[in-house]
Amino acid sequence: MMPGLAFVAAAAFLVFLLSLSARDDNGEDLPAASMRNQNRLGVTDALRPAELVLRIFSPKDREFIRLTRSPRLQRLYREERRRVALHWVRLMSREMSTIMRRHRLNSRHSQNVNVAAEAKLFGQYMELRFLCAGLVFLIQLFGPHALVDLASYAGELRGRLGKSMLDATASNHVAASGDVVAR
Amino acid sequence: MLLLGESSMNEPAHLVTMRNAFEDLQRRTLSQIPCDFARLVYLASMREYNSATYHHEGLAARYGQEQARDALEACHREIFCSLVSLPLEGLVTELETYIRASHEAPSGFIHAWKELEPYRVAVPMEADSTMVQLFLSNIRLALEVLRFRLEQSQAYQPASSPPPLPDR
Repeated sequence: MMPGLAFVAAAAFLVFLLSLSARDDNGEDLPAASMRNQNRLGVTDALRPAELVLRIFSPKDREFIRLTRSPRLQRLYREERRRVALHWVRLMSREMSTIMRRHRLNSRHSQNVNVAAEAKLFGQYMELRFLCAGLVFLIQLFGPHALVDLASYAGELRGRLGKSMLDATASNHVAASGDVVAR
Repeated sequence: MLLLGESSMNEPAHLVTMRNAFEDLQRRTLSQIPCDFARLVYLASMREYNSATYHHEGLAARYGQEQARDALEACHREIFCSLVSLPLEGLVTELETYIRASHEAPSGFIHAWKELEPYRVAVPMEADSTMVQLFLSNIRLALEVLRFRLEQSQAYQPASSPPPLPDR
């Protein structure tokens, strides 16, 4: 029962994360992205946040290390990526906390605070904090490729479930036809 | 030779001169260097340790001190960014090319770099901290991959022949 519940919770969390990442793909939630990556000469000197995330969690790098078939390299790779991934999540969380603190201080001096907008902002902030906490938990527990691993595990489990369901249906049919014959 | 006054120069003029210095640096100097990793190390060596300001005699004489400094910094940041965006395999190739160009024995080079971590000095000032972490982490991994390949190639070679840097 408990592993089943844990899996459902993990799958729900995965869907939640994927829905958030899909929003990022549209570029709507990355206002600073296009501003940050070019300097005065129009030369790219910083990666956009989404690109940086892709680099940290790159499946290509993981495959490159896997092909060496060296347990030492694979262990080192996991440790290194875990460290960078945790740094990224904690930094993002810290930056958001600083921005929110500043905003809160500014709001205190504001004459007309828009309660609805503030509530929405607070909700989004809490969403991000929850997401960061979840990511830290997943990365620490399952490694830097936790999401991909969980997604592939879910796919594998779905396949197994489908097969079991077919087997169960087939055996039910056999049992039912056996009953008919017996009668 | 044209030496431009720095304080009297307005922003668009500064940008134009900086752009010229940037292109000059890429055309005359950086194109002669065999790989991006070597370019990164070269540009970092143009920066003074104590003040972190860049200096290049020839470029400063042609375009002015400030423009040369900004062009060097822009080039340094651009190459750093391109190295961070490389897949790990690409970075291993870069490092391999750099080791070959250095004419050092690969085993000694890898040992020294793992011990002293001199690549930390090659990071531009005020770069995004996650980019810096990813770069340092990838260098550590690339060094381990090269060491692994070296060990593999030595294991399959007769004891008398010198260990070359293995081809991928």
